[in-house]
Amino acid sequence: MSHTQYIDLYRQHRADLEQASTPCLNARREEAARLLAAQGLPGTRCERYKYTDAAEAFAPDFALDIKGLSARVNPYDTYKCAVPNLSTALFFVLNDTPCTAPPASRVALPEGCVVCSLREAAEQYPHLLEAYYGRAAGHDSGFSTGHDGVTLLNTLLARDGMMVYVPRGVKVTTPIQIVSVADAAVDCMGVRRLLVIADDEAEVTLLCCEHAAGKARFAATQVTEAYAGRGASIHLYGIEETGERYTRFHNLYTEQQADSHVTATTVTLTCGTSRCRIDARLLGPGANVSLQGAVIADAQQHVDCNALVEHMAPDCQSNMLYKYVLAGHSLGAFAGKVYVAPGAQRTAAQQTHANLCADATARALSQPMLEIYADDVKCNHGSTIGKMDEAALLYMRQRGIPEAEARLLLQHAFVNEVLERVHIPHLRERLQHLVEMRFRGELSSCRGCRLCK
Amino acid sequence: MLEIKDLHAQVDGKEILRGVNLTIRDGEVHVLMGPNGSGKSTLSHVLVGNPRYEVTQGSITFNGKDLLALSPEDRSHEGIFMSFQAPIEIPGVSMTNFMRAALNAKRKYFGQEPIPAGEFLKLLKEKRALVGLDAHFMSRGVNEGFSGGERKRNEIFQMAVLDPCFSILDETDSGLDVDALRMVAEGFNRLRNERTSAMVITHYQRMLDYLQPDYVHVLVKGRIVREGTKQLGYEIEEKGFDWIINEAEA
Repeated sequence: MSHTQYIDLYRQHRADLEQASTPCLNARREEAARLLAAQGLPGTRCERYKYTDAAEAFAPDFALDIKGLSARVNPYDTYKCAVPNLSTALFFVLNDTPCTAPPASRVALPEGCVVCSLREAAEQYPHLLEAYYGRAAGHDSGFSTGHDGVTLLNTLLARDGMMVYVPRGVKVTTPIQIVSVADAAVDCMGVRRLLVIADDEAEVTLLCCEHAAGKARFAATQVTEAYAGRGASIHLYGIEETGERYTRFHNLYTEQQADSHVTATTVTLTCGTSRCRIDARLLGPGANVSLQGAVIADAQQHVDCNALVEHMAPDCQSNMLYKYVLAGHSLGAFAGKVYVAPGAQRTAAQQTHANLCADATARALSQPMLEIYADDVKCNHGSTIGKMDEAALLYMRQRGIPEAEARLLLQHAFVNEVLERVHIPHLRERLQHLVEMRFRGELSSCRGCRLCK
Repeated sequence: MLEIKDLHAQVDGKEILRGVNLTIRDGEVHVLMGPNGSGKSTLSHVLVGNPRYEVTQGSITFNGKDLLALSPEDRSHEGIFMSFQAPIEIPGVSMTNFMRAALNAKRKYFGQEPIPAGEFLKLLKEKRALVGLDAHFMSRGVNEGFSGGERKRNEIFQMAVLDPCFSILDETDSGLDVDALRMVAEGFNRLRNERTSAMVITHYQRMLDYLQPDYVHVLVKGRIVREGTKQLGYEIEEKGFDWIINEAEA
């Protein structure tokens, strides 16, 4: 029972953890401990964890930084941004501890816009933290998707995290970049929490980069909650450049009010195990959500995305596009569900999952689902698993393009459909370049980051 | 240019070519005719090195080199081009990037630097004009959303850019309307000179009229059973293949 060790750890070190954290986070631990003790961490018999065993992933005795010990390096000095030509407001999270940005590296954000640690938020913006922390991640009171054991584990042990708040009508034109670096000397677990709140008519773009340094194993539980007010826009970009010893469980919960727009794009360049759960709730009419992911996996990599879009109001749109290129002995899984609540008329939902298995040993699992309780809706889903198009390869080779280059062009073209949706041109070009380097095998596990060298 | 001797080839364990002998000299255009399933397309795929086709016997010498020892891409660099019967659609790879990759691979093979951007665009423009292919096709995916006629024109356009010395036209005329056929044939004719040769697979007299081939060969059941001038082609147009098959079997 892998969860009991963490509950025991919590019980033993509760005072230290609470002291290093804030009342808002502390207030939710007991309930999380009770629920986690009752249900445990999800194994593959749990429907939403069918393809990734969380109980097994957290079974090793991972160490935890209960007291929030200070970082051994200052990432602001040692890290160089891997997205050139893109000016971002840059923030670091080292393991699970937010690192305060030194004044020199701060980019001015519009007035009222807040990017801070949850501990700072507890002091300066307690009303925001109280109102939003844990709301979307624990929304079982309404339409129930069941408690997520990994979210419970995260809630039980989260010490700190980051909060991004954009006030009503404010449009943040500079992307906010949060770089999470896992760098541990011993096998350890990181518990990260991210809260994104865009008030009515606000706009914000977030770029979350995941990097891994060090040789130890690292297991991360990450819970992101994003709230888009009326007419607000939130663009979330996630780039994974971790390593084979990195296991990541990321749960993203979004709540959208009327006419809001949310996009969540993930590009998985390198990883060990990468598991993502997305619950997107469209609560107000006219809301629109786009979820997309590009995955490049080989060797023993394991990638699993489990997405649920809940159309709770009429006239909402959702679009999912996930494309995987799988080689070696990698496994790529996707389960996507569109739920249309009674009365959510004129829903338009599109779900696409396409896989390219470059090797016969790679495996792709695809599970599209629709659950519809309204009669005036347009919902489509498509799922394909294919191998490299031999006819296209011959065509390219006949024109003189070497086989390796032809394969690369075909694979790149395959995932490029996802990258084309990146709305910031510089970021799109950079991602296209990183993807090409990944296919060429020229990508080190963490580019531009001197921490890793 | 090309010398095929006693060529036997099979696909999926089934023997299709059963002893083909064919010599094509510099500057010559040869037309290959024959009933469906006689092995015409197999011969062209063997020439370009499609890995699905296995050569079990015989040899092919191309400009003094053992062609069968070369990879498909090296055969292309050495000057072999095939206009495919059904050109493949490659969504997401733009025509411009595709042509640049092809051209630069060839230059690399000959130890040359990649083509400068300005020169490349000028070359594309010049060759597009040859077959009347509009500029917007260059930003589209390879053959993506191209009509049948546009695909065939695109094949001749690629041929013009890559400047091969030996071209295989595998039923390039099929599915083309009268005007498109004329444009494709005229485009091809403009690329002809005394050092380029071609093997043209066709079923139609119109193609013979346009191309004025030097020789016509008839392939039946994996062997060339009759050879002649373009008159043979007109005779086939009139009488069909049966008389040739009957004679061959007699």
